[in-house]
Amino acid sequence: MLGFNSIDELCNALTRQRYLVDEGLGTVVYLALRLKKPLLVEGEPGVGKTELAKALAAAAGAPLIRLQCYEGIDVHHALYDWDYPRQLLQLRAGGTAPLYSEEFLVRRPLLESLSHPGAVLLIDELDRADDEFEAFLLEFLSDFQVTIPEIGVIRAEEPPTVIITSNRTRDLHEALKRRCLYHWIDHPTLEREVAIARARLPDVGERLARQVCAFVQDLRWLDLYRSPGVGETLDWAAAFHTLGREELDQSTADLTLGTLLKERDDLDRIRGKGLEERVEQAGERAAELREDGSSSGAA
Amino acid sequence: MLAASVTFARALRTFGMSTSVDSELSFFRALAEVNVQSREELYWAACATFVHSPDERPVFDSIFERFWEGQPLVLQARSAEHGESDPRMGGAQHGGEALPQFRQEGKSAAAVDGDKNRATRDIPTAEGEQGGGNQQRGVLAAWSATETISEKSRLNYESDELAALRQLAEDIKRSAPERRSRRCRPSRGGHRLDMRRTLRNSLATDGEAFRLAFTAPAPRPRRLLFLCDVSGSMERYSRVLLASLKAAVGAARKAEAFVFATKLTRLTKSLDGRDLDRALEQARAAVPDWSGGTRIGTTLTEFNRTYGRRGFARGAIVLVVSDGWDRGDPEVLADQVRRLQLQSRRLVWINPRPMAVDQQPLALGMRAAMPFIDEFVPGHDPRAVAGLGRLIGEVGAQRPRRQMAARPPQAEKERAPDRPVTRLPGYDTPAPRRYR
Repeated sequence: MLGFNSIDELCNALTRQRYLVDEGLGTVVYLALRLKKPLLVEGEPGVGKTELAKALAAAAGAPLIRLQCYEGIDVHHALYDWDYPRQLLQLRAGGTAPLYSEEFLVRRPLLESLSHPGAVLLIDELDRADDEFEAFLLEFLSDFQVTIPEIGVIRAEEPPTVIITSNRTRDLHEALKRRCLYHWIDHPTLEREVAIARARLPDVGERLARQVCAFVQDLRWLDLYRSPGVGETLDWAAAFHTLGREELDQSTADLTLGTLLKERDDLDRIRGKGLEERVEQAGERAAELREDGSSSGAA
Repeated sequence: MLAASVTFARALRTFGMSTSVDSELSFFRALAEVNVQSREELYWAACATFVHSPDERPVFDSIFERFWEGQPLVLQARSAEHGESDPRMGGAQHGGEALPQFRQEGKSAAAVDGDKNRATRDIPTAEGEQGGGNQQRGVLAAWSATETISEKSRLNYESDELAALRQLAEDIKRSAPERRSRRCRPSRGGHRLDMRRTLRNSLATDGEAFRLAFTAPAPRPRRLLFLCDVSGSMERYSRVLLASLKAAVGAARKAEAFVFATKLTRLTKSLDGRDLDRALEQARAAVPDWSGGTRIGTTLTEFNRTYGRRGFARGAIVLVVSDGWDRGDPEVLADQVRRLQLQSRRLVWINPRPMAVDQQPLALGMRAAMPFIDEFVPGHDPRAVAGLGRLIGEVGAQRPRRQMAARPPQAEKERAPDRPVTRLPGYDTPAPRRYR
């Protein structure tokens, strides 16, 4: 288990990895570590579900083992496979070593995570895998052991920390959810998003970060087909910075809007209806934030 | 503290959340890890263990509020419910006896939309309609009790109708379309070498791989997605429709059913039971706006934004059953139908209403949606729905013939309806819009 003795300690360690958590997420991650239960995180695309696992592994100095799910993933991609060419060669060479032994075992992420004590296992986008694979995961997640018919049961000395992410393209099975702690990551508040942008992109100026975040926060109220996530905010801020802009302006916003919005209808809507006005409003909100920030900082 | 926690979990269950003993145990263990004096920490600990979906948050929040304030949970909740739904039943004073029944109601409602407010507001009303008369009435009586449904369109099913439905379910099951999946199954005619089995075979021949084993992609059932209009103008078809939905959901391993009038309601879970009568009854009770007005555009927007985004229509055969009589903006409707088409493998529109002489659908909404429909089925006779099984089978077998990319509605209007399909040079077949 990863050694964090309090929620604060965990949050600070994650912050050092430039991953900012709010109180809810901090508590839940801490509980997942202490209770040794898998953590299922869901949320809109781009709120940092995958990043959480990466940051946690980095914060604890533990290896991160990632299993990306996709349609048709099965035991041989996720758990283990046999090294067939070597097995054939062994047969042809008339070797006497048993064919189905650890020697010829190819370890896939799940099995790998059992042999690294204290590893962080990220099972990414589980909703993309099919029901059968989900059912297969149940044994693994509840007992942290796997059964390989030719060898037997392999058990973890120390269970890995498991983080499962899902984009809710389909409902996960109730049985799986029961074995996990659950957390829904929301879009961050303006202040937090600015803090995230500052932490992730230290080169980007405070002023630009605030304006970009204020702009994006406004967009999230608009009922777009595809609301921009934090990832897109960062991309957009980086785009401005790369083009050498110190603050939000209409023409650059128009040019780079594609980093933020990825639906044609959304683009048309934002470009068509007073982009200039939005940029102005974002500027004002950012300015207000500055006053708030400095006053609370003084107090 | 422990006793209080058990009561808390029970209260959550009463309000239709699916808390299990597992969640309770996790919660107890979590209590040892957090500072129970801190509201925040306790809240997040409870949230992580009991809540399994964002929809459950509102219910959870309100109950947690009471729990933290030290207010009685279940008792309080129960009396409040009864206060709201006063005319519901005379037996409400019996308190304890009313509870199990109430709990069941809450559960089924939450299963449908997970929205506590609707569960508490609508379900008692549905109950009221039923309980208004004699409790001993037939199970389907609740349907005829609504004011909007006239006496002659009672939703009682005759036994031969039910038999026909079973037949329909069989048909759909037999003709259920399939898609290639990424999983493999052993196959003699396959093209991918199955090393595992080949090696096993070679053990018998002293390490020589004489007998090669192959695999081929395994077929999977393709999803069927029904979007059915149950508004006032569709009233005379809706009972047949609902029953057909039940048949389809029961038959196909992957079928989703939604109905809409002014709002969208997901019926898959209500209809997905063995007991036909019960399922139909539950489904009827779950739809708050049965025979209400129509806003196809808005409800499709709702679908696209929620379920559509979650991939419900991806690669599916989408069947919209509606007469296209829409009170909303036809532009919105056209735009949303286009979105739906882009997500789906085939978009079939079944219009049960007779058309005018020139074979053009009368309704404005229908006309707006036309350019984005892959297959238009005039179902004059509601009994034509019986041919549904065959239809689904035929439609699923073909690749969609569409333009390379969909156009925004403005451009679409100028386009002649029968413009030739874009072809890649040197190919006879229409260019695929994209790979799936």
